[in-house]
Amino acid sequence: MSKLQIITKGILKENPTFVLVLGMCPTLGVTSSAINGMGMGVATMAVLIMSNMVIALIKNLIPDKVRIPAFIVVIASFVTIIEMLMQAYIPSLYAALGVFIPLIVVNCIILGRAEAFASKNGVLDSALDGIGIGLGFTLSLTAIGAVREVLGAGSIFGYSFADGVMPLLFILAPGGFLVLGYLMVLFNKVAKR
Amino acid sequence: MKSSLKNMVLVLFTITAISALLVGLVQDMTKDAIATANQQAKNIAKYNVLNTTAEESTVVADTTRLIGDFQITVSTVKRTADDSLVGYAVEAPSITKSGYADRIVLMVGFVEENGIAKVNGVEVLSQKETPGLGANMTKEGNSLERSIVGKDAADVKFSVTKEGGSFDALTGSTISSRAYANAIETAYAGYLWATGRLDTSEEALEAAPTGASMLQQNEPEAQKGEECNE
Repeated sequence: MSKLQIITKGILKENPTFVLVLGMCPTLGVTSSAINGMGMGVATMAVLIMSNMVIALIKNLIPDKVRIPAFIVVIASFVTIIEMLMQAYIPSLYAALGVFIPLIVVNCIILGRAEAFASKNGVLDSALDGIGIGLGFTLSLTAIGAVREVLGAGSIFGYSFADGVMPLLFILAPGGFLVLGYLMVLFNKVAKR
Repeated sequence: MKSSLKNMVLVLFTITAISALLVGLVQDMTKDAIATANQQAKNIAKYNVLNTTAEESTVVADTTRLIGDFQITVSTVKRTADDSLVGYAVEAPSITKSGYADRIVLMVGFVEENGIAKVNGVEVLSQKETPGLGANMTKEGNSLERSIVGKDAADVKFSVTKEGGSFDALTGSTISSRAYANAIETAYAGYLWATGRLDTSEEALEAAPTGASMLQQNEPEAQKGEECNE
């Protein structure tokens, strides 16, 4: 697989949200607006790239049977450290992305990629996989967030274009399921061609 | 790598030990910086709610009042140039009404015009409401902010419009809006208390907003605490 393919497969063929259906919990939780979806996507991408690289580095030192607990400990401490550093030294970024960081620990995309890719490939390839999957996740979440925001709040990226009462349902959890389902159908129909 | 009991125990122990050590070290390293960053954010909010800046004005006094576990801080802000009063920035939580997920903490700025207190500005210091619904209270120019900023605090009724109050609730977020109104009420009571205008007479208490009565009811407890210290 070429280096470019590793990146593009994360966006299309192995799109984490619409094809692999991983990380549904943060997906439904934070996509009530386009900007929230994007924030979660970007934060996840940053963690994913770094955790993939660390896992690829230490994969040969870990006995097979305990690899999953070992990965989880590495990822969780990693995320906690990033959160504390960000809160201390870049408070403005923390104010924007801080709420998403603790959610990333339990995001199964991170563990999924550690298990499926980083534990079998080199450091560079794992970083590229992190970029690809991260981009795929960011784009999907932004798309879901944008649709929900347009339908439910009459605005896009915070810019309001429609006043009056919009169907609030789309901001609430049921709307999240609806939009996710329909976008998944649409994505797979287009991607199959 | 092949697994054996020995290497599994050894590797897991090493990984958890190193992780715990690193997290501990970073926590220790960033503790002070995080506290400073939070304090700074709060300080900026104090000036923002009074439409002034740290260059123009100074916080001359912080008075803090504990109600149970909750803390109300009233900061007196004066112009640096001529020492005239800009107003009071009050940090207050919602006490009797929690939000949807947690209590809401606001910074509320009061300015005085001819002895009448006006709400000058509001900033949300902490909230955990639903993104896209209750969390909209942090957006600039939301309906809650619009219904309070610029009003005489004495005329405000601290509940949402459908309960006869002055606050236009956020769409689909009545609970969050009630908590917001309650935090403003607490802030106003804190302001009255700090400026020595809290009416303590029986009649006033009966008619008074619950914020004022909350401050009253907790008076004995606060005194008890002091006695213990002596």
